Amino acid sequence: MREFLSVFSIGLFQNTLRTATPVVLAALGVLMTDHVGIMNIGMDGMMLCGAFFAVLGSCYLGGWLGGLVLALAVGLLLGAFFGLFVVKFKSDEYIIGVALNIFAGGLTVFLLRTIFGVAGAYSGTDALPIFGLPKINIPLIENIPILSDLLSGNTLLVYVSWILVALSYVLIYKTPLGFWLRAAGEHPESLRAAGKSPEKMKYLASILCGLFSGLAGAHLSLGYLTMFTENMSASRGFIAVACVIFGASNPPRVFLAALLFGFIDALGLRVQSFNVSSNLTSLAPYLVTVIMMVWVVWRGERKKKRLAR
Amino acid sequence: MKKALRELFSFKRGPKINGGYLLSLAISILLALLVGALIMAASGHDPIAGYSAMLTGALSSKRAIGDTLAKSATLCLTGLATAVAAQAGIFNVGGEGQLYFGAMASALLGAALTGAPAVLAVPLCLLAAMLAGGLWALIPAWLKVKLKVNEVITTIMMNSIAIYFCAYLSNGPLKTTERGIASGTAKIDTSFAFSRVINLSNLTTSIFLSVAIALMVWYLMKKSVTGYEMKLTGENERFAHYMGIPSAKLMLLGMVISGAICGLVGMFEVFGLHKRFIDSVSNEFYYDGMLVAMIMRYEPTGIILMSLFFGILKIGGTGMEKIGIPSETILIVQSIIIFFMAAERGISASVREKRVRRNARIKADAAKGGSEHA
Repeated sequence: MREFLSVFSIGLFQNTLRTATPVVLAALGVLMTDHVGIMNIGMDGMMLCGAFFAVLGSCYLGGWLGGLVLALAVGLLLGAFFGLFVVKFKSDEYIIGVALNIFAGGLTVFLLRTIFGVAGAYSGTDALPIFGLPKINIPLIENIPILSDLLSGNTLLVYVSWILVALSYVLIYKTPLGFWLRAAGEHPESLRAAGKSPEKMKYLASILCGLFSGLAGAHLSLGYLTMFTENMSASRGFIAVACVIFGASNPPRVFLAALLFGFIDALGLRVQSFNVSSNLTSLAPYLVTVIMMVWVVWRGERKKKRLAR
Repeated sequence: MKKALRELFSFKRGPKINGGYLLSLAISILLALLVGALIMAASGHDPIAGYSAMLTGALSSKRAIGDTLAKSATLCLTGLATAVAAQAGIFNVGGEGQLYFGAMASALLGAALTGAPAVLAVPLCLLAAMLAGGLWALIPAWLKVKLKVNEVITTIMMNSIAIYFCAYLSNGPLKTTERGIASGTAKIDTSFAFSRVINLSNLTTSIFLSVAIALMVWYLMKKSVTGYEMKLTGENERFAHYMGIPSAKLMLLGMVISGAICGLVGMFEVFGLHKRFIDSVSNEFYYDGMLVAMIMRYEPTGIILMSLFFGILKIGGTGMEKIGIPSETILIVQSIIIFFMAAERGISASVREKRVRRNARIKADAAKGGSEHA
């Protein structure tokens, strides 16, 4: 029993934050499009592109900042591209999302092989190293025993993601722009009557989503790991969509959902040291996601029934 | 009355694929191939050499043609699996997982029945594959119908669950006891296996089953009442429901058929090539087929015909590898076809809308002008 309890160490919670962060960032992006009434299942591919271009920038543009900027730029482009199809061409968002995922899978492997000349993974060479994101120590907390392990010494984007959760909440619920965004999804015609263009709001949300996908990807390949591997997003983009549904598109609640996912993922990694098959622990986050999806809908139905009574 | 209405509607099936659509498809494919050529040129390869390597890779020898046909059959079946669910209004992204479970179930049964007469055992294995794939597909379908849980997310999650779970089984409790096999289940009785139609190629006798299944699915989707009711359900579930069509049941059925087909694809891989379940039984086969189905707008006739073309592209990709061009170029070209077609559709729709608006404005002006004169 004591051996089992040892699973719940500080390391577990550190890993929770580490594994949750890409999902948090991706979920914030998905949440923006969700508010304007678009479901972006292309997030997984967008993230994957972000991860690749972050590594590319880090190698060729002199350091992590270059990687971050390139990932954001590509994210912006992909977001605008997604918006163009879904808003302007009125394409089916699922089809464009799936096509984006397949496109991203092909493009990143193609570029990995053409530019870096390797198949599968690139983790940097002496001649062309990948510069990871810096780790940041927070001055006061650094000296407090347990908190320092948890809150200090994480990579840059972990902190950025926390700030962005708060900012997104303020943007969506406390500013006129956020009001317009939500109106574009819920009552586009009222928004139009009020003299604002729902299409512009949808574009804005798509582009914001793209930027978030860039951050999520950059964290994946420069923060979480310092390498790019084929298909490294590993369906995290879809888990992000599930977190958004679970958290009803409310940033703090979505954040908690992503933390839950991170916790399961981290727990799986810890349990592996007890001779549990890694294949079984790897499937746990996906299983939990399905259960989460079912539970949230089931709860919603029950609430509706109670109200009807 | 209801039946009369249904019959009336069934004659008004508007052709989803018409001349304009075929033209836009041809242009999109050409443009996408052009983009592919630009990508090759930009990465320092000769595009003409690349595409001719693609064609020789897919068609130059008996073996290559066999591989291409085998690949086309897989694309066709997985594409039809996407389409049959889509016709009933469910987007099945989970075919990969259903394929894995079909492969696993049939491999286990194929090994367990060792010694039994093949006439009996093979149909049982076919049934096991269909059952495993169909049941795995039933879960997300049931969740969608009963609780309105988004099937796209659940099916994608269930892909990962199935793939990891099968990997766990084939490396853990169900691993073969044979020496020298790193991972995989016990070998099936070789008398159950599909034999090769063309030596050395991947084309096995399962191709005949594939053709039969494709025709059956085509008939179901295009010619049967059930297929038509599925279509009504997919287009407008509420309308179908008020017409007295059991829409919920049809959605479940569409998804179960879809899963069963995917399970069979898995079985064909095992009984045709590997003779046991291995982790790499599929390499995103379902997604390739789904792409074909999406390009052909879930139209079965189109899927059956175009899977040959995409089979050439897919096998041709390995030919391109031989002269150093990454086969992912093909993947990029395929996804770009979808983008071009979506763009063309959007642009022509907006042009049409503008024309309608302009005509309305001219008419309104004329009417106003007329009333002023009076």
